[in-house]
Formats: sequence, structure tokens, C-alpha cells
Amino acid sequence: MGHQFVLLISATIFCVGAAGFLIRKNPLIMFMSVELMLNSVNFLLIGFSSFQKSMDGQIFALMIMTVAAAEVVVGLAIILTIFRTRHDMDVDHINTLKG
Amino acid sequence: MFSYCWFILISPLAGFVLLSWFGNGMSRQRAGFLGCASVGISFLITLIALTSFLLGGENEKGGISTLYNWVTAGSFSLNMSILVDPLSVFMLLIITGVGFVIHVYSIGYMEKDPEFSRFFSYLNFFIFSMSLLVLAADFFFLIVGWALVGLASYLLIGFWKEKTSAVLAARKAFVMNVIGDVGMVIAAFIIFDHLGTLSFLEVFAAAKTTFRPNDDTILLITVFLLVGAFAKSAQIPLHTWLADAMEGPTPVSALIHAATMVTAGVYLIARCHVLYELAPFTMYLIATVGVVTAIFAGSMAMVQYDIKRVIAYSTMSQLGFMFLAVGLGMYSIAMFHLMTHAFFKALLFLSAGSVIHGLNEEQDIRKMGGLRHSMPITHITFLIGSLALAGFPLTSGFFSKEAILINSYHADMGNIVFWAMAILGAIMTGFYIFRVYFYAFSGQPRTDVTAHESPLIMIAPLGLLAFLSLTAGFGGGMIDDFLVNYFGTHMSHPDDVLLETIGLSAGLIGIVGAVGFYMTGKDRLEFAKQILAPLYDLLFNKYYIDEIYDFLIVKPTRATGAFLEKRAERLGIDFAVDQVGSQVREVSRLISLWQSGSVRLYAFNMIVGVVTILMFVVFL
Repeated sequence: MGHQFVLLISATIFCVGAAGFLIRKNPLIMFMSVELMLNSVNFLLIGFSSFQKSMDGQIFALMIMTVAAAEVVVGLAIILTIFRTRHDMDVDHINTLKG
Repeated sequence: MFSYCWFILISPLAGFVLLSWFGNGMSRQRAGFLGCASVGISFLITLIALTSFLLGGENEKGGISTLYNWVTAGSFSLNMSILVDPLSVFMLLIITGVGFVIHVYSIGYMEKDPEFSRFFSYLNFFIFSMSLLVLAADFFFLIVGWALVGLASYLLIGFWKEKTSAVLAARKAFVMNVIGDVGMVIAAFIIFDHLGTLSFLEVFAAAKTTFRPNDDTILLITVFLLVGAFAKSAQIPLHTWLADAMEGPTPVSALIHAATMVTAGVYLIARCHVLYELAPFTMYLIATVGVVTAIFAGSMAMVQYDIKRVIAYSTMSQLGFMFLAVGLGMYSIAMFHLMTHAFFKALLFLSAGSVIHGLNEEQDIRKMGGLRHSMPITHITFLIGSLALAGFPLTSGFFSKEAILINSYHADMGNIVFWAMAILGAIMTGFYIFRVYFYAFSGQPRTDVTAHESPLIMIAPLGLLAFLSLTAGFGGGMIDDFLVNYFGTHMSHPDDVLLETIGLSAGLIGIVGAVGFYMTGKDRLEFAKQILAPLYDLLFNKYYIDEIYDFLIVKPTRATGAFLEKRAERLGIDFAVDQVGSQVREVSRLISLWQSGSVRLYAFNMIVGVVTILMFVVFL
């Protein structure tokens, strides 16, 4: 595998995640898209880590996964609360902060 | 020296404080007693000071009593001090003496008033302010006293605060007086600027060496001081407030607007005579305004129907005589007339008050008549006051007015015009006061109201003042000897039998004229009114001065105000403020469109942003 391959895969996954986040209306799916984007970055880090024979990138990837896990905990809790109060999961309807 | 004279100030001030704090809970007797006693004490202390002067125990020129240094700022230093000299003691005798008599009278006059103690607290406040005015040892405290008597006058004119006309009159008096105060303050500034001090004695000593006669500066100083004097003493052109001030209770008119406060202008010029002698031009101006006011006010007094207004115009007229006297350098004579006028004018006002009281607040002389039967004592006292005012031989007014008349020709600056105008004023005096006398006391009653004589507490002060009005004229020599220590010159007694005879007969001619018009039936009166109708209307409407001021000052000011309100305020200031508000709101609305509330739009913007930045970083 060469550099281009890793970059291409990573960019593709990132774009899929970004597109998913912009297109979908279900917050759960949007969450998963966010995870995709995060993991595309992880992939890049691990790939370059192995090219350069350095462990720094892999440690960063572990750190990102930890933060992502924590983030998911908070995010899911918020989503759950929104669902309980509104019985509606469409993000386009959650616009009470509209100016 | 003279430190006990501070109690002349402290006593009425204490009376004022006690009456205003505890007056509501006091019985009428106690409040009245307190009000009178505080002024009585001042009078007794003044008598002590007078005695010490007469016995020669003190320096005959008087002296300054200083409590402490109040302010020191750079070269400026102001002491808490009073100047006790013949002139201030002379004024204090009138203020506290006549003031005490009027306080006693007020107990009777105000007996039914629900705010009895408030009235007395104001009266005491006035006595305090007026004493401060004449005791001041420098221009600063003079101005303080000057302004405080204006305030006291305002409070007392508007004492019956439920009467709109009284409140308006009080406001008018206050505004007019403040014009004068401003003049005084400017004069004090100029004095301090040139001489570096405000103390009377230092200013007078320095002025003699600093200024040449008719210097620009000394003219400015004297003229600005004159503005204050004219406003306080109701001389042309600042005279319109005095007649309206008659809306106040009658004892107030007697005390403030006849005997004491309105004479402050004369006092001021006499006090500052050193400055005025350096400004012969201003002296001439004073004499001219004085004599013009004398006949101007006298002519208005001839046609008014309100008994108090007639006496008020008479006061202006007599003040005009005093100004004529000081303007011609006859200070002692002016002070002499000031004193006799205080007696007989207070007597006239209090007698008029007795009439008003007896007729249940009726002030229109057309509704009076025949009062000599129902109010015999008031009749006698009013007659005595009228005779003294008209200058009937051997009454007090005769001596003082005769001295002014003859000196208006024989004084250094006197001339035949001053003399002729003064004689004309004297004729009017006899006429207008006896017109009132005949209207009120002779003939038959014109209304059903049965008049009743006033109680003893009002009659006794009348008797005392009547006695003084008859006899005070014989004290002229004593007053001259006493005041010469301040003025440095004696009254002059030119021997001129012809002028004396004419002066003597002037008042009598006026009286005879009044007899001719008002004792012998109405026909002649109506006839005169018809042929002199335009003149009569002019006088009755007070030369339309109020209307002229209204037209020249009040209306343009109001119009300017309305114009600015409509144009500058609404279209300028309001518009600008509103625009600032609405523009901020509009911009905020545009910015808030970005806050769509759509999560996906936010994310899209974020991505676009990041990508844009990346493009810049990578390709530029």
C-alpha cells in the first residue's frame, strides 16, 4: 500500500461521513457519520504511523477513540432526552434557537 | 466687639427651626408667642447695640465681629462675620421693631388660618434673612441674605397655596428677584476681580484709590448692583411683581412689601455709597429712575380699585422718592424717609388688613364705604397713615418728604426737572391715598356685609404705629447725627421758603383734589373718566407693562420653546435617537438570519469554511 492509497481511502471515508452528516435527518445516523469522519482521521494517523515507523500516530488514534467514546455517551444522552421530551427525532424540527 | 449681635440672627433662626419642626403640634398661643418672642429678642439686642452707640461705649463707626474663618482658597478668604455700624443698627431697628409689631398683629389676623405655625415660621425666616442682609460684612453674605429674603418673599406671597393667583404671583416675584440676584452676583465677581476682596470695608477703602470717577469698571459694578436694587425695590423696569405680590396675606405685604425687604435696594446703595460717589453717571441714573417710578407708580395708584394694590403702587412711588434721594447723594434723608415710610406704610397696610379682616376678605374699595362708623379705631389709624403718607404738616412723612423735595432742587446734582416731577409725585400721593380713604371710610356702606372692628391684638399694633407715624418725623436730627458716622455728611437744610411752601402744599392739593372728586358726588368723577378715557384705561391697565413684557419676553420665549420642541426636539434629537435604535435593530435582524436553527446548515458552513481555509493554506 502506498501513501496515495491511504490518503484516498481516508478522504473517501471522510467525505462519506461529511455527506452523511449533511444529508441525513436522523440524529443517530448523523452521529454515526461523525464517527466515520473521526475514524477516517484515525485511519490516516495509523497509516502514516506505520510508514514512518513511529508509534505517535497510533497513540493519537487511541486517544481520539477514547474522546469519541466519551462524546458518544454525552451525545446519546442528549438525543435520548430530546426524544423523550419531543417524541420527534427530525433535526430539522429542532430549531428553537432560530434567530 | 459686638459678638452679642450674633443673637439678632440666631434668635429668629431658632424660632424658624422650632416652628417648622414642632409647629404642627403646638397650640396657636404657643406658636404665636414663640414667633413673636424670637423677633422681640432680636429687637431688644438691637436696642442694646443702639444704646452702646449712643452712650459712646463703642467706636462710633462700629466694627466687625468675626466668628471664624469660613473659607480660604488661594488669595480668597471669607470670614463668618457681621458688620455692626450705625447703618446696620438703624436698619435692624426698623426690621426687628416693625417686624415685631407686625408679628403681634399677625396673631390676630391669621387666627383662623389652619397653617398658623407655618406662617410664623416663614415670618421668622424672613426676619433672619433680612437681618443677615443688613448685618453682612461682605458682598458674599449680602447676596446670601439678598437671595434668602427673595425666598422668604416667595414663600409668603404663595402662602395660600390653594389660590392659583397667589402661586403665580409668588413665581413672578421670585423670577424678577432672581434677575436682580444675578446682577448682584456679577457685580461681586467684578469687584473681586479688580480688588481681590469682598469685604465692605476693604472694598470701599481700595475703591477710592483704584478707580477714577466714571471708570468703566466702577460703572459696571454700580450698574450691576443697581439691577439687584431695582429688582428688590420694584423700580422700573423690574417693578411688575410688587403689585401682584399683594396676593399674599396682608401682614406679609406690610412687613416685606412695604416696610423692610423692598427698601433693601435703598439700603444697598446707601451701604455702597462710596462706590456710587465714584460713578456720578450711575447716581444720575438712580435719581432719574427713582423720580420716574415715583410718578409712574403714583399715577397707577390713582385708578386701582384693590385697596392693597393702591398701597402697593404707593410703596413703589415712595421707594422712587428714596431712590431719588440716594441718587442725589442725600443718604441720611433717604434713610429717614425709609424709616418714616416703614412706619406709616406698615400702618396703612395693617389698617387695610383690619378693613379686609372686618369685611370678610373684601379688598375692592367700591364695595366698602361708611366704615368710619363700624370701625372707628381703624378709621383713625388709616387716616393718620394717609396724612403721614400725603405729607400733611407735622406728621412724620411731612418732614422726610419735604427734605427730599427741597433737596431735589438744591442738591449738587438736583435740578428743576427732578423737583417738578417730585412735586407731581407728591400731589398724586395725596390724591390716591385719600381717594381710598373716602371710598372706604366715608359715605354709606355699599354692601350688606356688616363690618366689625378688629380684636385688640390687631388694634394695639395699629395704635403703636400710628403714634410713630405722627411723631417719628421729629427724630430727623437724631437720625442725622447717628448716621453721619457712616455717611460722613449731614442732611442739608437749604432755606428756601418758596419751595418749602410749594412742597408743603403739594400733598394738600392732592388731598383737596380727592375731596373734590370723591366727597361731592359721583357726577364729576364719571365726567372726568369719560373725557380722560384713553388715559384712564392706560393707567388702569398699568401702562400695559405686563402685556408688553408678555409680548416681548414671555411669548417669544414660549414660541421659541414650542418651535424647538417641534423642530429640534422631534425632528432632530428624537429622530437621531430613534434612527440609532431602528438601524441597530435592522442590522441585528440581518445578522440573525444566519442563526437558522438548522444543524445541518451550520455543519455545511463549517465544512465550507474549513475547506476554504485549507485551500488558502495549500494553494497560496
